[in-house]
Amino acid sequence: MSSTAMKKKVLLMGKSGSGKTSMRSIIFANYIARDTRRLGATSEFDVEHSHVRFLGNLVLNLWDCGGQDTFMENYFTSQRDNIFRNVEVLIYVFDVESRELEKDMHYYQSCLEAILQNSPDAKVFCLVHKMDLVQEDQRDLIFNERQEDLRRLSRPLSCTCFRTSIWDETLYKAWSSIVYQLIPNVQQLETNLRNFAQIIEADEVLLFERATFLVISHYQCKEQRDAHRFEKISNIIKQFKLSCSKLAASFQSMEVRNSNFAAFIDVFTSNTYVMVIMSDPSIPSAATLINIRNARKHFEKLERVDGPKHSLHMRMR
Amino acid sequence: MGMASRIECVFFSEFHPTLGPKITYQVPEEYISRELFDTVQVYIITKPELQNKLITVTAMGKKLIGCPVCIEHKKYSRNALLFNLGLVCDAQSKTCALEPIVKKLSGYLTTLELETGFISNEECKQKLLPIMSTLLEELNATGACTLPIDESNTIHLKLIEQRKDPPIVQEYDVPVFAKGKDHFIKSQWDLTTQQAGLTDYNTFMHHVSKSSIQYYGVVTMVSIFQYSNVYCTTPIVQSLIDNKSIQEECLRYVTKQGQKQANLRDVFQLYCGLTPGTTVRDLCSRYSPQLQRVDERRLIQFGLMRGLIRRLQKYPVKVCRDEKSQPPRLYTGCHSYDEICCKTGMSYKELDERLENDPNIIVCWK
Repeated sequence: MSSTAMKKKVLLMGKSGSGKTSMRSIIFANYIARDTRRLGATSEFDVEHSHVRFLGNLVLNLWDCGGQDTFMENYFTSQRDNIFRNVEVLIYVFDVESRELEKDMHYYQSCLEAILQNSPDAKVFCLVHKMDLVQEDQRDLIFNERQEDLRRLSRPLSCTCFRTSIWDETLYKAWSSIVYQLIPNVQQLETNLRNFAQIIEADEVLLFERATFLVISHYQCKEQRDAHRFEKISNIIKQFKLSCSKLAASFQSMEVRNSNFAAFIDVFTSNTYVMVIMSDPSIPSAATLINIRNARKHFEKLERVDGPKHSLHMRMR
Repeated sequence: MGMASRIECVFFSEFHPTLGPKITYQVPEEYISRELFDTVQVYIITKPELQNKLITVTAMGKKLIGCPVCIEHKKYSRNALLFNLGLVCDAQSKTCALEPIVKKLSGYLTTLELETGFISNEECKQKLLPIMSTLLEELNATGACTLPIDESNTIHLKLIEQRKDPPIVQEYDVPVFAKGKDHFIKSQWDLTTQQAGLTDYNTFMHHVSKSSIQYYGVVTMVSIFQYSNVYCTTPIVQSLIDNKSIQEECLRYVTKQGQKQANLRDVFQLYCGLTPGTTVRDLCSRYSPQLQRVDERRLIQFGLMRGLIRRLQKYPVKVCRDEKSQPPRLYTGCHSYDEICCKTGMSYKELDERLENDPNIIVCWK
């Protein structure tokens, strides 16, 4: 049983007041969007050692860097090596309402330079944030424009852009994608999930990280209508989980059913939750629940880095 | 009176929502370089753990003393106001006396901000500049300053010099005005001293022990004068030769009333004549020519006050006793003749006779 944690460094940078600390508070610290109003300015940088344990005992070291000019200048000079070495992921946050686009781009490029020098293999994500402040019909246009600019500016590095807001599920989509990049053995995980889903004849299976409810893996056997359903589910369940905890109750599992489908959300392994969607009405709940229970042991073993590979034995119907 | 160190600069630092930590005002301008501020800013505008604490940081030959303040409220951009009004001195200087001033100032500014928004209001904040100038000038010049802030608020500050604690006042000590009674104008005394007056000895002694007049060198304790007293010189007696001002002061003090001023040679000889085994009576008979113009009481007094001489006291010790008797209460070697006389009401002569005749008592001089 491996107990050495793998630590991955994630840099969270961007101008002062762009929303970095608010985002990380929501994703990692169980804040609801409204509560982020109370947050103060981040000084110099706050290293958040998130106890978010993903598969393979992954621990995220999230470096939330205060964006005031004095700090930024230090990051590129006296603190350069300290900040930009050993970075797995750089997340740069742009406030969509910013009036200082040139200054923002200048700082962004300085970051990229430092990354190229110190952590050339790092993955770069750009979040165009506070999109809720843009008129709905303008959002796609503005985002696409920004995306083009950023892709151009980032060469030779490639960046992945997302539009985000703390007030909807877009936040979850961005962070899920980011975290997904950090999971070791993600292919193996997806293969196992697919096998599991096929054996129990599920339409769709989702795997969530336990504390953040970010979707870290999924399988679907056919196309579904809503491409944004993953982040929506993350958002909804997370809010529900927080509401429960306010009443001193802890969320364990849920079953939602109508004539077309049955959805089961349950604790899965020590680091994950699972969601199983069944559209065959003839399969009783009990069977699905037993299957989920039996699959647990297998997935627990997968989460231990040095564990032997077992084939999947499932009970049917 | 030793002077506290010179204040080289007064600065006001803030956390700006987009620029970050910066120096908003400093008097004189440009005293703190960009480099110095970058080096120490993390101790000026600090993380929550260091807030509201007095912090002194030394770097690049300078000492910065400040107290970072944080006022949280949703009306401020980023939900908090962070600032620090501090002083800069040379790195070698002693700055203990400045610490209460910095702490007091931070408290005042905090209150002003909470009551009237003095710091967050850009217009009011500008008033800080003349206030800081006055602070720098007056504290350096006189060690005290009065800063009018607005119609209803004035800040008073005073540098309190740190001194060694004075020795505990004993019953057998005699108070002496260290600088001469007339030196002090009664109106400058604090209320309790004025009220104590000089009428009743016990009340006055009690007052002396409890108040700070001894601390400030206004009153010094000396032992009672007796011709049977024995004194000896200390190394400080050398200063009578080296230090002109002590010489002058001494000669003025010890000269007999109505006589021409005594000369240094005589006075110095007299002091050196004080040795273990020599009583004042002995001194007077041996050195009568030198004492023509010198008052021996005042000679001894001056020598004690300035530390040129010290008293040698007799300490009786009971050495053998049979097992049945009580352990000695006063004859332990820790209590002087002066103390024993005071406590028992015996006269010096009585005590001396009693102890000389007791074979179990040995007397130590120290």
